[in-house]
Amino acid sequence: MTSGAMIELKGVTVSYSADAPALKNADLCIERGEFVFIVGPTGAGKSTLLRLLYRGEKVTEGAISVAGYDLNTIANKDVPYFRRKIGIVFQDYGLLPNKTVWENIAFALRVTGAGRSETRRKVQDALEKVGMTHRPDALPGEISGGEQQRVAIARAIVNEPDLMLADEPTGNLDPDTSMGIVQLLKFINERGTTVLVATHDAPIVDSLQKRVVAIVDGSIVRDDERGLYRHQILAGKKGGAN
Amino acid sequence: MNPSSILFLLHEGYLNVRRNGLMTFAALGTVAVMLTVLGGSIWSVYRISEYAQHQPQTFNEVDAFMNTSSERDDTLAVMDRVKKLPDASVVHLVTREQAWQDITHQDPTLTESMPDDPLPDKLEIETRDAKNVQHLADLLRDKNAFPELEAVTDAGAEVRMMLAFARLVKLIGGGASLGLFIATMFIVYNTIRLTVFARRREIRIMQLVGATSWFIRIPLLLEGLFHGVVGAAVASIIVLFGGRHIAQFVEQLHSPLIGDVPTQATPLRVAACLILIGSFVGLTGSYLSIHRYLKHV
Ligand SMILES: Nc1ncnc2c1ncn2[C@@H]1O[C@H](COP(=O)(O)OP(=O)(O)OP(=O)(O)O)[C@@H](O)[C@H]1O
Ligand SMILES: [Mg+2]
Repeated sequence: MTSGAMIELKGVTVSYSADAPALKNADLCIERGEFVFIVGPTGAGKSTLLRLLYRGEKVTEGAISVAGYDLNTIANKDVPYFRRKIGIVFQDYGLLPNKTVWENIAFALRVTGAGRSETRRKVQDALEKVGMTHRPDALPGEISGGEQQRVAIARAIVNEPDLMLADEPTGNLDPDTSMGIVQLLKFINERGTTVLVATHDAPIVDSLQKRVVAIVDGSIVRDDERGLYRHQILAGKKGGAN
Repeated sequence: MNPSSILFLLHEGYLNVRRNGLMTFAALGTVAVMLTVLGGSIWSVYRISEYAQHQPQTFNEVDAFMNTSSERDDTLAVMDRVKKLPDASVVHLVTREQAWQDITHQDPTLTESMPDDPLPDKLEIETRDAKNVQHLADLLRDKNAFPELEAVTDAGAEVRMMLAFARLVKLIGGGASLGLFIATMFIVYNTIRLTVFARRREIRIMQLVGATSWFIRIPLLLEGLFHGVVGAAVASIIVLFGGRHIAQFVEQLHSPLIGDVPTQATPLRVAACLILIGSFVGLTGSYLSIHRYLKHV
């Protein structure tokens, strides 16, 4: 199954064990260029969905296609080339502590076989986009959390991906810094990249008023074109949602 | 793959080695010791078998020479009688013509200077059991029973002992070498496993940004290769140095048994062989280790 959409899930179920599946019978279609928030209480299955999308996980049942690849039939040797079309950002930044800011971003290019001059140009470009040109030689431990997340985002976009996946990118940041990161993600989206953000962070969802997909107990319960974080169904689960 | 990528991979491999500092040192030391013992035993076994091959007779064999005056029919008659002896298992006839040819082949100048074939027919007799060599030789030397035989030679007691010893060394040395080979590979396997564990963040990121599995493997394979080659180089030096001392010691014994046996195992060949074994062990050990890890991610 492949289609023109950036992401297409049909009847997707993921079971880690015999208990209730982490994702059940999910249908979801995301077009190229969209900006989508995935919200839901803890344990709802948001991270599971994101892992599925970069093939860090396989479906137990159902059909899934991402960026033109059918992930049920993709060969192992093609997975690296598929991943080059996707930028991934995590809550804990995932930077290498003994490489500098510049080296961290360059690493993503070098390990895909990029040459020196191409790397130099693209790293500089990515640093400019995320506003981190001032300290390229700092180690991750020497800059703030918000700055580390900017570097992680630079690393995710340096390969010029079609799709960007962010799992709780503001989870460790204060509200002001979070807002800055979200503005950066919006800027990246405006330049053509499809962006998916899984989050607990109500203010950032509300500030953008973009598409919101809500998951509860592994089921997609809401899909609003221009949504807010809170809604009747989520409101009932509010205790678990923050 | 472009040259700049190759440089990058080499650099990453070098970073592995350097970052693992003490562990690299420990692994190198262990691999070197293992390969020294391995190389030492392989070399001893090889050298001893060279000595053994150089002996004129194998230890369960008796040679009987006919009188030069006897005819071929006499030889065949004696051969029949020898075959019936309970101690003899295989009797092989080497005719004087064959012997002459062999010598001509080995050393033409020697036969040229001789007008005629002075050689007797020879019977090579294998005993059923090495213990009976002495008994069989004594029987054949009895002039009453075998007046047609001019001379009977068997490997002397010392030679027999040395050859038996050589066999033992081959057996034990061969087994020990195999064990050491596997143990060395296991050490590299474990070292690389620790490296892989120490680098799991890098590997994870490489996988997420779309590095191919070969790009992930190469620096780690290089590290395994480094352990194997450097360990083997150190081992070669120790083996060759030790080997020279042992050779000098054996020489000064002036034993007629050992004599001056030339060897095919030149220092260059010994070192090349060890480095080949080291590279193989290093690459295989690290490959297995990475393979196991990458499968589990
Ligand atoms: N590797 C795994 N093995 C087994 N169960 C898992 C695994 N990963 C997640 N789960 C289970 O699957 C369900 C969904 O987990 P997931 O991490 O997708 O939730 P989430 O919505 O991202 O939660 P959070 O907001 O806390 O990050 C949970 O019940 C979780 O315990
Ligand atoms: Mg999660």
